[in-house]
Amino acid sequence: MSGVEPGLPEMDDAVRTAFRRLLLSLADSKRILGIRYSDWLLGAPSIEAGIAASSMAQDEWGHARLLYASLKDFGDDPVALEHDRQAAEYASMEALDAPFDDWARVIAGAVVVDGALAVALRAVAEGGYEPIEGRISKMLGEEAFHRSLAEAWFRRLAGSEEGARRLKGAVEEWLAPTLRVLAPDDQGHRALVAAGLTGSAAELRARFAERISPLLELLSVDMPEPLGLDDWDEGRGRGPGHPAEEAVERARGDLNRALFVE
Amino acid sequence: MVELTTRSPGGVTLPVVEAPSPEDALPKRVTSHASGGRDVWSEPMEDAPGDPEAVVVELLHEVLDPELPISLVDLGLIYGVEFEAGRVRVDLTFTATACPCMEFIREDVRDRLMREYWVDAVEIREVWNPPWTRERITRRGREQLRTMGVGV
Repeated sequence: MSGVEPGLPEMDDAVRTAFRRLLLSLADSKRILGIRYSDWLLGAPSIEAGIAASSMAQDEWGHARLLYASLKDFGDDPVALEHDRQAAEYASMEALDAPFDDWARVIAGAVVVDGALAVALRAVAEGGYEPIEGRISKMLGEEAFHRSLAEAWFRRLAGSEEGARRLKGAVEEWLAPTLRVLAPDDQGHRALVAAGLTGSAAELRARFAERISPLLELLSVDMPEPLGLDDWDEGRGRGPGHPAEEAVERARGDLNRALFVE
Repeated sequence: MVELTTRSPGGVTLPVVEAPSPEDALPKRVTSHASGGRDVWSEPMEDAPGDPEAVVVELLHEVLDPELPISLVDLGLIYGVEFEAGRVRVDLTFTATACPCMEFIREDVRDRLMREYWVDAVEIREVWNPPWTRERITRRGREQLRTMGVGV
């Protein structure tokens, strides 16, 4: 292909931009999700649950690290991506903008957000972009544990009136924006679909529904329509807003900048 | 670099601290002298080997995982070795994407190989394909783990 800067993946400019957006959105979501899980390392309903949250936080940061590193092929400096961006530049999902207020929201987040991320990652792996395929299968192997923990806890919480009420509040708030990020069906996403690098919006939504519908049924919640694209931020691949400053300060490691080792 | 304001939890504004350049950063080394089976490493060889790649694999059999006392080779972490004109490239993976021992393992591999006068440089390439699973542990590794009461 002509006109491609040497070293960049051989893709159409529009496809490359869209693919970079997708990888950055996955990386940022995993970075912030790790922080949200880590808040519950202590103070979860049981020690075991807290330890699981700690392992999941660790996994999310491992996945984020690999995803940021993969953006080097797109001309990015992974160190700058991880340490030098303002909150407003983060492309993480809206459901992660504020901390999870209680354990029900942790579990709803693990089902909705972590679940959507797993669906998106699997679709990228199937798209066959070779440099990232193998990394994703390792990530999805680790994600299988998140899923079984999240689903077991979801069923448990859904069995009590208060648990069900809180889960329902969280999933009803997060499903529509999360569906939009997973499968925006905007110009960028359609360019990726045409290039075969991810699944179509209908496909991704169907897979997500298949994955979590049995859980939503416990709460008598139907899968909503994704949010429309009126306030869509095409550059970041999410709606307006950004993760809370405090989370971004931790993600960047602001307090430890003088002790930087990378 | 983006200007960053660093705040303490109390909301007091602290002076902005730029990330130091690599030369000013913390010392790179993390390894304690005991890690990676250093106490059982053999003496450096006197002569350069005829088949350096096979010998590198043998040497990596001496490098133990920081958490389980079996070698990186038996744990199934080594995916390939190449040797050319004094440069060794080791392809290796980790058991988890956020394995807390990554830096220890890299240093142990590098330190063991750099003991040999015929090794000038060690490049470690992180690979994730195919992903590590327990099936990659060798038969010998399994037996060693079993004698320590670790079921695989």
